[in-house]
Amino acid sequence: LRFPGRFRRLLGNWIRRRQGPDRGAVTLSRGRIYILPTRLGVAFGLMLVAMLLGSLNYANNMGIGLTFLLASLGLVAMHACHRNLETLIARGAGSEPPFAGKEAVFRVALANPGGAARCEIETSAGISPGSPVTVAAGSESTVSLHVPTQRRGTIILDSIEIATRFPYGLFRAWAVLHPSLRCLVYPQPAADALPPPRAPGIAGGGATRRGEDDFSGLKDYHAGDPPRRIAWKAFARSDELLIKEFSGDAEATPVFDLADAPGSDLESRLSVLARWIIDAHARGATFGLRLPGVDLPPEPGDAQRRRCLAALAQFQAPEPDVF
Amino acid sequence: MSSERQENWRHLAWAMGGLVASLGPHLLRLKPWVSGFVLAICAWRLLAERRAWRLPGTFLRGIIALGVTIAVFFSYSTITGLDGGTALLALMSALKLLETRTVRDHTVLIFIGWFLCLAAFLYAQDITTTAWVMAAVWLLAAALLEVSHQGQSGPRLRPFRTTGAMLLKAAPIAFVLFFFFPRLAGNFWGAPSAERALSGLTEEMSPGDISDLTLNDQIAFRVRFAGNPPPPALRYWRGPVLSEFDGYTWARGDAQSFFRPLVEHLGTPVDYTVTLEPTGQQMLFALDMVESWTPGLARQSWDFSLRTRNPVHGVLRYEARSHSRYRAGPELAASLGNLSLQLPNGRNPRTMEFARSLRASVANDAAYVQAVLDLFHDQDFYYTLTPPGLERDSVDDFLFNTRQGFCGHYASAFTMLMRAAGIPARVVAGYQGGDWNPIGGYLIVRQSHAHAWSEIWLADAGWKRVDPTAVIAPERIERGIEASFQGSELLPGGLMRDSPFWWQAGMIWDNVNARWNDWAVQFDRGKQEEMLLSLGFEDPDWRDFGLVLGAGLALGIGLLFFWLAWEFRPRRGDPAAQTYGRFVARLERRGIERATGEAPRDFAARIRRLRPDLGVTALAITETYLRLRYLPEPSAGDLNLLRGLVARFRP
Repeated sequence: LRFPGRFRRLLGNWIRRRQGPDRGAVTLSRGRIYILPTRLGVAFGLMLVAMLLGSLNYANNMGIGLTFLLASLGLVAMHACHRNLETLIARGAGSEPPFAGKEAVFRVALANPGGAARCEIETSAGISPGSPVTVAAGSESTVSLHVPTQRRGTIILDSIEIATRFPYGLFRAWAVLHPSLRCLVYPQPAADALPPPRAPGIAGGGATRRGEDDFSGLKDYHAGDPPRRIAWKAFARSDELLIKEFSGDAEATPVFDLADAPGSDLESRLSVLARWIIDAHARGATFGLRLPGVDLPPEPGDAQRRRCLAALAQFQAPEPDVF
Repeated sequence: MSSERQENWRHLAWAMGGLVASLGPHLLRLKPWVSGFVLAICAWRLLAERRAWRLPGTFLRGIIALGVTIAVFFSYSTITGLDGGTALLALMSALKLLETRTVRDHTVLIFIGWFLCLAAFLYAQDITTTAWVMAAVWLLAAALLEVSHQGQSGPRLRPFRTTGAMLLKAAPIAFVLFFFFPRLAGNFWGAPSAERALSGLTEEMSPGDISDLTLNDQIAFRVRFAGNPPPPALRYWRGPVLSEFDGYTWARGDAQSFFRPLVEHLGTPVDYTVTLEPTGQQMLFALDMVESWTPGLARQSWDFSLRTRNPVHGVLRYEARSHSRYRAGPELAASLGNLSLQLPNGRNPRTMEFARSLRASVANDAAYVQAVLDLFHDQDFYYTLTPPGLERDSVDDFLFNTRQGFCGHYASAFTMLMRAAGIPARVVAGYQGGDWNPIGGYLIVRQSHAHAWSEIWLADAGWKRVDPTAVIAPERIERGIEASFQGSELLPGGLMRDSPFWWQAGMIWDNVNARWNDWAVQFDRGKQEEMLLSLGFEDPDWRDFGLVLGAGLALGIGLLFFWLAWEFRPRRGDPAAQTYGRFVARLERRGIERATGEAPRDFAARIRRLRPDLGVTALAITETYLRLRYLPEPSAGDLNLLRGLVARFRP
């Protein structure tokens, strides 16, 4: 049954009050599974009433038997529907931070410790239903919940509904989780940002770039360093992987500073920074980030991109959106 | 085909399969055009789905719906009632088929299917119908499972099997409900309308009616005797008494009398229970002469026949007590006397003339009766299953012309001869004899045992049965109709009579049917009380019924609960995995969760970073666990070690 919005809200509040917040893995115990007939279930019930009245009137014993068999089947379906959720273990299994405006993906792992498959488990966050999955006996399935985002910061997924209408769709059993799953939302990268300043952050810095020719020394190789700078000759001599350093690097390595980013307000400047970071990462360059109170020294790689974007997401972040 | 179309096709095929199965019992009963139309639409719809044809629009469907409704009205002259209603339901299900696109449409089809199952039971409740309907119910439920299943993900659904398991779980609860749900006495919306033509004995008898019935092997009723059954010659099952004669046909007539002649019952009584198959009429059958019967069920009219208030449309069970020796109506009221002497003016003149002269030639009524019987015996009268047709003055034609007749002809002629001579007489229709079923210990009376005899009133003796057939074919009365016509191809069930094996099989099957009638079809308030009595309730009232029903349901649902719990019970993993699981669970309670797919060693490293104090123990547990899991021959010592480590592990 679909309830009118107001009633749904009241029901939701009531469930939240009686269950309290959830932490970690949640076992769907009997106390937190709700079950009601669906529209089809109500129609089925009405059909049974009509059949029973007809059979009783005609004193038709086989008709009465048929009605009772179907009624019992409905009862079994109700229990089976409830069982289909019971003892299922749900927990948050990470999330994928999106850029603002895109959908955040929360992953929920459903583990079935029981010896029978759980068929057609629909997991949904708020309004967007997930496609039903079947969790085989003794195994685990992960479902992705897509939550739309509007602005950067953090979104919290605090209401997950795990429901099933299996078998027959006569009943719908559901459980509500309040796991407070968090996911960062990166600023939306600016579409057409100016390239970052050449020598960022150094007052009066020379405009000329000395380039890569000015060899200034060797340093230890770290994963992610560009292979073409490996000092192969040195390697042949000493079996040590070394990287050639050039004097131009210090100036050329961009540390993107909020102060350098053009834009009318904080959000648009953060967007520009996001664009610079993405582009720099895509080039395989080394980059850093400087925000008031945040100083991420230059480094290349995926982890750096994540760190930088996370710093942007969290910088003077607005109140998280709760779903 | 796209996956969506494939799913649609699957849903349609399942729903249609269920629908056709539920139509099964109706297909032969419905008028041919209805069955044909429904099957044609089914075939067309399947083709349309395969070839992706357009389905008819709302307007066309409306026209067809109106058309078939009118057609049903003209064909059945009603659109309500059982026949008309069933035809309409079948046609509407076919029309619904023309617009099936969504899950909801398919669901409606399945619901219609269940109603058709119920309608099938309104026609017949025998074992075969029940078995068929149960299969259809199963198929329909499986179709509902398939239709309501949206996802293509996961392992392949097995609707038939899954539903079978569900029905098996539902069965105990259904049985409790069936046996203990209180039955009402009587109908609350009035009796269902009588419109079915049932073959069998009626309250009219024209020449040839009874001999036609001998070809009918259907069961009229079954009788279980409390003691020994009476000998075959005394098994006269009295049905309608026919007092009105128009020269050709005998009929019950509308004569009413509040005065029922006195009956003196003599000798030892016979107690028995009759399970009557539906007749669509009000008559009941009882051994001559009935003394008492299930109270409130029927009234005995002035001619000693039993009549119910409403036509018998279902199987009816009643008890009765009869005496084979009796003196009925020593005094004859004038009005009844006249009624039993009435003859149509100017009909059968030769018989009238013959009766008068024969009566004049003998001394008294008793001698006249004997003279008539002697006439049948001595002259060339024949007892035959295939008597020739008779003229309008049927008795004249029979006595002086054809002289070949079945019991009805003799009863008719004899009664007429009595009346013409001033002896009150009437024709009694009913059954004579029956097949003894030694397996079940009861008597089977079939339509082929239909019989007609006479009853005459003589001063002092009262109403006496005279069976002219006993004179012309005594073996018919002593040993049954098969004895009279040995080897005749005309009688039904030849194979069964001739082969002992098939005879035995037939009797066993009939016994099963009789029990089915007793315990399923005829399960009523009385049987319910019997059951409660056997459960130890004395004088059960509604509270006891509630108690038993509640306890039974609790038992059934408890059974279901444990059944499901057993099905869903956690599978025990290997002991090492279980112990490791406990370790993970303890960490989880402290907020350290193992991520999906995180390898145990990675997890241990993470624990060490997060809680350096637990690092060593976590590593030891992890390494022991991995040894147990992956070494070809894990040692029992390791398992004990792991258990000890985890037991002492208190994060």
